[in-house]
Amino acid sequence: MSQSFHEDCIDLARRALQRGTVDRRGALRALGALGLLPLAAPGKASAQGARELVIVNWGGIANEGFGRFYGAPFEAANPGFKVAMNSTGPSAGRIKGMVESGSVTWDLCDSSASSARVLGKQNLVAKIDYSIVKKSDAISEAFTLEYGAAPYSFSSVLAYDSAKFPNGPPQNWADFWNLQKFPGTRLLRRDALAVLDAAQMALGKDPANLYPLDTRACLAKLREIRRNAVFWANGSESEQFLRTGEAVMGQIWHTRAKVLEQETNGRIKFIWNQGLLQAGIFVIPRGSPGGVNTQRLLASMLANPEPQVELLKFLGNGPTNPRAAPLVPADFRRFNPTDPENAKLQVTLNGDWWGDNYTQLNQDVVDIITG
Amino acid sequence: MTPKGRHAAGWWALIIPALLLMTAFYIAPILQVLAISVTEPQPGLGNYERLFTSESVQRVIGTTLRIGVITTAIALLLGYVLAYRIAMSGPKAQRWWLLAVLVPLWISVLVRAFAWVTLLRRQGLVNQGLLATGVIDQPLALVWNELGIVIGMVHYMVPYAVLPMLSSMREIDPRVLTAARGLGAGRIRTFLRVFLPLSLPGLIAAGVLVFIFSLGFYITPALLGGGKTLMVAEWIKLQILDLIRWGLGAMMATVLVVAILATLAVLSRLVNLRRLFGAGS
Repeated sequence: MSQSFHEDCIDLARRALQRGTVDRRGALRALGALGLLPLAAPGKASAQGARELVIVNWGGIANEGFGRFYGAPFEAANPGFKVAMNSTGPSAGRIKGMVESGSVTWDLCDSSASSARVLGKQNLVAKIDYSIVKKSDAISEAFTLEYGAAPYSFSSVLAYDSAKFPNGPPQNWADFWNLQKFPGTRLLRRDALAVLDAAQMALGKDPANLYPLDTRACLAKLREIRRNAVFWANGSESEQFLRTGEAVMGQIWHTRAKVLEQETNGRIKFIWNQGLLQAGIFVIPRGSPGGVNTQRLLASMLANPEPQVELLKFLGNGPTNPRAAPLVPADFRRFNPTDPENAKLQVTLNGDWWGDNYTQLNQDVVDIITG
Repeated sequence: MTPKGRHAAGWWALIIPALLLMTAFYIAPILQVLAISVTEPQPGLGNYERLFTSESVQRVIGTTLRIGVITTAIALLLGYVLAYRIAMSGPKAQRWWLLAVLVPLWISVLVRAFAWVTLLRRQGLVNQGLLATGVIDQPLALVWNELGIVIGMVHYMVPYAVLPMLSSMREIDPRVLTAARGLGAGRIRTFLRVFLPLSLPGLIAAGVLVFIFSLGFYITPALLGGGKTLMVAEWIKLQILDLIRWGLGAMMATVLVVAILATLAVLSRLVNLRRLFGAGS
């Protein structure tokens, strides 16, 4: 039941739309920016000679309007192209299945830094061509990896129930692990990623030189707290655990933390300090039909700051384009993970290190949690 | 071949299209997937070796068996009492009882899991009620652990336990019970020496059904376990979709299939399986 960050975004979007906090156009614009809306009735074959590129996302309110947002700029700049959407949910396992079946129909898949590395090492995804995608269109190298590039960002932050801590809230992961000073149930994702990074900071390692993680010590640190913790698999779960008081503090995605802070009128707060900043990496399955044009589509997704800002306003996903932060309206800056003020407090998760260690460590973490 | 045999062969030929369809689109793909367990990451039995060497693999199997056995035991106990009560009531009451047993079957497993969360969580109805009446002064940990999973699974399984037992109890001739009483046996003795042995085939059948179902549970443990309990189905999903260790996932799937077939094979010697799955006796 483990849910990825992008699936959670759709969930949030649907809810915001229902509550009327965002109008339909805003919703579509934001989802378009994320690449989450398919073209209405996408033509399967390119009968008129239009070349079709397929972006694979994680579903949701996904059946209308994409062409106006993500696709349109690219289509306008590149006559003869059509950008279609598919919401199968491109998990690493599905990408592997498609590539090995020999009939690849996907061009660009919403994945993650660690999956990109794992898939890359198994020769299942193509390298990003950085003569086409511009590294200068991303704020740091963490968003332009060998096997994937990120048009959006997100963060795993410390959120806490301020009603439970009248004598001062937790400030960092060391406090998170301190059950004497801050009693109560903890909340963590059932995943190695970001959890072990937080454990490493709790162990006192300098956040500026966090990697490589001392995995043995981090796993032991996790073992220390597991009896006092519950574990979430999807974003709505993480929100419920905190909202209902089941947990007093947790490491959750900043998008959920934002919703909690706003909807509980500040009872639940979150801090950027020592948050784990992560890249929303897109990958290109090996043998994708679009070839070089897929690279160009990815390049355009990184190069346009305006749709990235729309996405932030709607869901909270951070832009990755360096020109985006100044375009963000003042009242949204507090919630932008890549705002310079917030970014300097966080640690950028090392996707390459995680790609090399994820499979083993995730199994270890699951073993500890379920042990 | 005797004329009669040839006649039968003709009837068998009628199901050949269905058989071919099943083989081509169901059995063959499944075998193909299961074969991955001996081909990835290297050809050989390396994945199966983990059954004996990997603590993680053993733990998942242990957890699954433990929860399966506990669920089966409780579901059988509750189901037996219920089936007994239904079998002993009049025809009109029986219909209402059956309706009450069957209605939960039509509610989605997802909805039921969330309903249990609402009831059992720290600020849920059960804990709030107990706190208000002063029975407890601290909320009980009723969910996000194995207890929560067992509650959710038992709730799902009780109808499956009731139905086979009820059908077997209905076949017990009430005159046999009357005769036992007439010969001087007390109520308890009549139940233990006459009713229980006669209802045993239904009990065993229900046990097999519930146990096999329990082994493959996915949604209920995922939602009620608080992430801390991993059963086989979710573990396989993790290996296949997230960790891309297909060989290991396929190995566990094979083990699950073999375990279920083996349970059925053993049980087919004890009870008439054709009756269990609805064929006329």
